[in-house]
This record gives sequence, structure tokens and C-alpha cells, in this order.
Amino acid sequence: MGKLKETILNPLFKNNPITVLVLGICSSLAVTVELKGALVMALSVTIVTGLSSLILSLLRKTIPNRVRIIVQLVVVALLVILVDQVLRSFEATYAIDKQLSVYMGLIITNCIVMGRIEAFALGNRPLPAILDGLANGLGYGLILLIVAFFRELLGSGTLFGIPVLKALGYQGNGLMILPPMALIILGCIIWIQRSIDKELQE
Amino acid sequence: MNTEGNRYTVIYTTLVCVLVAAVLAVVSQALKPRQSANEKAETVRQVLVAAGLGEMEKWRMVDNQAVLEAFKEQIDGDPQVYTTSQLKAQNYNIKQGKPLSLPAYRFKNGVTVRAVYGSGLWGPVWGYIGLEQDNTTIAGAYFDHESETPGLGGKIKDDPSFRASFRGKAIGKDGKVEFDAISGATMTSRGLEAAIDTWMKAYIEN
Amino acid sequence: MEYLSLFIKSIFVDNMIFAYFLGMCSYLAVSKNVKTANGLGIAVVLVLAITVPVNWLLNRFVLQPGALAWLGLKFAAVDLSFLSYILFIAVIAAMVQIVEMIVEKYSPSLYSSLGIFLPLIAVNCAILGGSLFMQQREFGNILEALVYALGSGVGWYLAIVTLAAIREKMAYSNVPAGLRGIGITFITVGLMGIAFMAFMGIAL
Repeated sequence: MGKLKETILNPLFKNNPITVLVLGICSSLAVTVELKGALVMALSVTIVTGLSSLILSLLRKTIPNRVRIIVQLVVVALLVILVDQVLRSFEATYAIDKQLSVYMGLIITNCIVMGRIEAFALGNRPLPAILDGLANGLGYGLILLIVAFFRELLGSGTLFGIPVLKALGYQGNGLMILPPMALIILGCIIWIQRSIDKELQE
Repeated sequence: MNTEGNRYTVIYTTLVCVLVAAVLAVVSQALKPRQSANEKAETVRQVLVAAGLGEMEKWRMVDNQAVLEAFKEQIDGDPQVYTTSQLKAQNYNIKQGKPLSLPAYRFKNGVTVRAVYGSGLWGPVWGYIGLEQDNTTIAGAYFDHESETPGLGGKIKDDPSFRASFRGKAIGKDGKVEFDAISGATMTSRGLEAAIDTWMKAYIEN
Repeated sequence: MEYLSLFIKSIFVDNMIFAYFLGMCSYLAVSKNVKTANGLGIAVVLVLAITVPVNWLLNRFVLQPGALAWLGLKFAAVDLSFLSYILFIAVIAAMVQIVEMIVEKYSPSLYSSLGIFLPLIAVNCAILGGSLFMQQREFGNILEALVYALGSGVGWYLAIVTLAAIREKMAYSNVPAGLRGIGITFITVGLMGIAFMAFMGIAL
């Protein structure tokens, strides 16, 4: 039981996919301009990493080692495209899909999905694999939300589109909206995390 | 079983690829009619907003059937509704100097809605611009995109104040419209500007 | 001339790293020293130069609406563009696997130093991004696609080698303990990104 707990808790802090493993940076730059986008992305990635880890863990004994990357990618892409196609077909979910389809390519190529399959799902049984996938998605989402919080608050003076600082007469800082600032905020988060947990220092 | 042999590897890969392609093809074929119905209703919604007939929030509350009926009621004549892939084809024709058939939706309130199409930062951007009877003053606009960054380029669709800023502006003789670029989204704004220029020019020349 | 300006534009103005921030994961992880950065940079140039033209052919003759017209009129109406993601990815993964095998055979030292990141080139967003941009920009012929791929690859190569050189020098600097390593790298890349924005305004 202790091991399962570790599988779930480690990715949130000690082994966070973004700040420690340095995976999934591209998307964390693209979707952290506002909290809403960050939240949508965090949820989708959590679902995709969980499901794809589960499926590939089930298939792990049958996959030939030399073509494993192709098989992994095809399964992940299939999953994402299927969800997209189904959502697009129903009147009630069409509007949701229009919001999500922007993130599709980013989810497929998110290194976290592939990284967790390579490093964990292919060598573990389905239950730990799905937990690892979900937990990594959440650890990723956590950082995403922190970065988005600062970028939206200081960049546009709003949170989830609701004026907060803006209501006090704050003029948005255009620099925060630009992608390089996400990198600098990430650098600061890493600094804080490593000051708290000295073991992570290099 | 030996999962590393050449024969197994080849058969396994082929099987996975064929299976996945088959699933995708079947799903895509089976869902196509529903998807195009949704897409058509979405286009009609955007055209209605560009014609100045209500905001997007209002049309989102209404189901597809009702949207199409409202469109039929307001429209003058029975023009064909162009899908985005048809817009893409026309965009290609404009660039190549080939004969064009551009969509124009004339409404009973006197507004004519024209389409624009081009590429933004990550993918296509398109939209609809409604013109008053003088054919130069903008009555309303709606823009959409496939994959612009949410919060930056995505604002062309998500920020109502952006599309509202077009209202009352005039289109120049060369098809140009001046509008404020979105800060932090230079490439998307530039792409949209180019799309409007090219298409409005094409409309004026035809 | 047109090709030259496309080449230069895709290196500096449309730089994969600093303008689009694509391929960051391997960029940050494999830039500790110039030697491995050099290796990965060359691998990216190679993979881009192979996959973009191949995917261009795929797009032109299979995926585009009406692309199958060469099979006969019956096929002219077929639109397979819903398959483009998955086919592009499959081509990329296959090519990466081939490059991986070649590197493993001829340069075991490079292979061991690139470690997990050679297979991860397959999900390097810069590679898929290259193919998707190619599709979006509708290049007229395969040569344009190749020049674009080479330019983007060289841009990526330049970016990673510069960062690696900075990081080598930084090893001797007195950086606060918590920022050492990846933290200060993030901030460096952020500053480089802001500097590179100067190229955005250039029209070629």
C-alpha cells in the first residue's frame, strides 16, 4: 500500500514532471496565459496520461521493443482523436470540443504522456500504471495553474476572466503575457521548491 | 512467445496500424453527417452575429434547428452556406488568380455578410464581416480560429470587445480595415489583417 | 533567392525555439554541454529534413482534399485530412527509430549520452510542428518544404548550441543553490527569448 501512495504523491512534489523531470514545457508556455486554458489543459492531460498508461500497461507484454515508440504514439493519438471526433458529433458537446480542439496537438506531443509510458507504464501492472498516469497529470496541472495564476493576475489583472487587480485600476503588464515570462516564472518556482527541499539541489 | 522476432514485429506493427486506421475511418465516416450538421449550424451562428442579429451567447443557448430557422427567416433569398473547407478552397483560388465564387449572405435588415479566411500563427483563421447598405461601414464581425493560443491569439474569437471594435469602421477602397492588434499576439493579428485585406479586395474586384 | 529568404526566415524570424517555443523538453534537458547539444542538434536537423519532405508528399498525394485524384476520378472527392495527425506522427516515429538504429550502430558514445532523448525526439514538438506548419503554409513544391525543414532545423541547432555554451560558462558562476542547474537555465532561456523577439519585426 505504501508503494501505491508514493506513486500518487511523488509526482505532485518530489518528482514533479515539470519542475523536476523537465517534461511538458512547450504546452506549459502556451496555455498559461489565462487560468481557464490552464485548467482545461490540466484536466485533459490528466485523463489522457491515465488512460494511455492503462492501455499500454495492458499491452506491455505484447509490444515488440523496437517499434514501441510507434505503438505508443499511435495509441495516444487514437485516444485523443477519438475523443475529439465523438465530442464534435453531438450538439450538446460541440461547443466544448471547439474549446478543446485547440489543445489536441499539444496533448498528443506532450512529453509527459510519452515519458510516463516509457518510464513507468511499460514496466508496471495496470493499477499502478493508471495511478502514475493520473498523478503525473495532476502534478503537471498544479504547476500549470500556479504559473497561469501569476501570468493572468499580473498580465491582464484578472483571474478566470474576472477583474481583480483590474478593478483596482491596474494596467496589465504586457510582458507577463509573452511566452518568455512563463519560463522565468517557472525558474522562480523551481528556485522556491529547491530552497524548501534541499535534496533536489544540483 | 518471442516478441522480438522480425516477423512478429512486422505483423504486430501492421496489425496495430491497420486496426487504428480502420477504427478512425469507421468513426469518422459514421459521425460525419452529425459533424457537418453541427458545423453548418456553427457557421450560421457566426454569420448571424456578424449581421448584428444578437450576440454569440444568445445563439449558443438556442439549438441547431432553431438557429437554422432563424437564419431562414432573416435571410434574403436562399444562399448556400459555405463550410470552412470551402472557404479554404476559395482562398487558394484567390491566391492563384483563379475564378472565384465567394459567399455573400444578404439579410433582410440590409446587412450583407462577407467571409474572410487566412492563416494565423498556428493554423487557419477565418471570420465573417457584416456590411451596411453602403457596402463600406462594418455592422458587425465574428472571427474564429482552429488553434491559436488561448488568451493571446485566441482572443480574436473569445474577446467580445475585439470583434466589437470593428463595428462602425469603414473598409477602404483597397479592402483594408484598420484595427488595433492584440498585444502579445502579433502573428495572429497580422494574419487576420492579411486575411481581411485579401478577401475584401477580392470582393471589391468581383 | 526566394529559397534563400525562406531559409533565413525559418532560422531567425520563425525560430522553432524562440518564436514558437517548440521542442523545449529535449532542448532544456540535453543542453548541459556543447558536445551532446551538437549531437542532438544534428539529429533534429536530420529528422526534420527527412520527415517534412516525406510528409509533404503524403499530404500532397494522400491527405489533402482531392489529393487522391491521381488514382482516378472516383477518388477525387475523398478527403483523408482527418488522418493527417496520426500519419505524420507515424512517419516521424518510424524515421526517428531508423535514425536511432543508425546512431546506435555507428556512434555508441553519442547514443549513450543522448539516452532517453533520442526516442523522445519522436514527441519533440519541433518535429511535428515542422510537418504541421508545412501543411498549413501549403508549400508549392517539395524543394520549398525541404528548405523550410533545413532552416527550422538549423535554427533549432543554433539555439541549443548557444544555450549549451552559455551553460558551460555558467558552471563557473556563483548561482544561488536553489537556482543551480535547471532553474537558472529556465531564466536564461526566457531572457534569450526576449532578445530573439527583435527578429520578429523583420520582413524578408
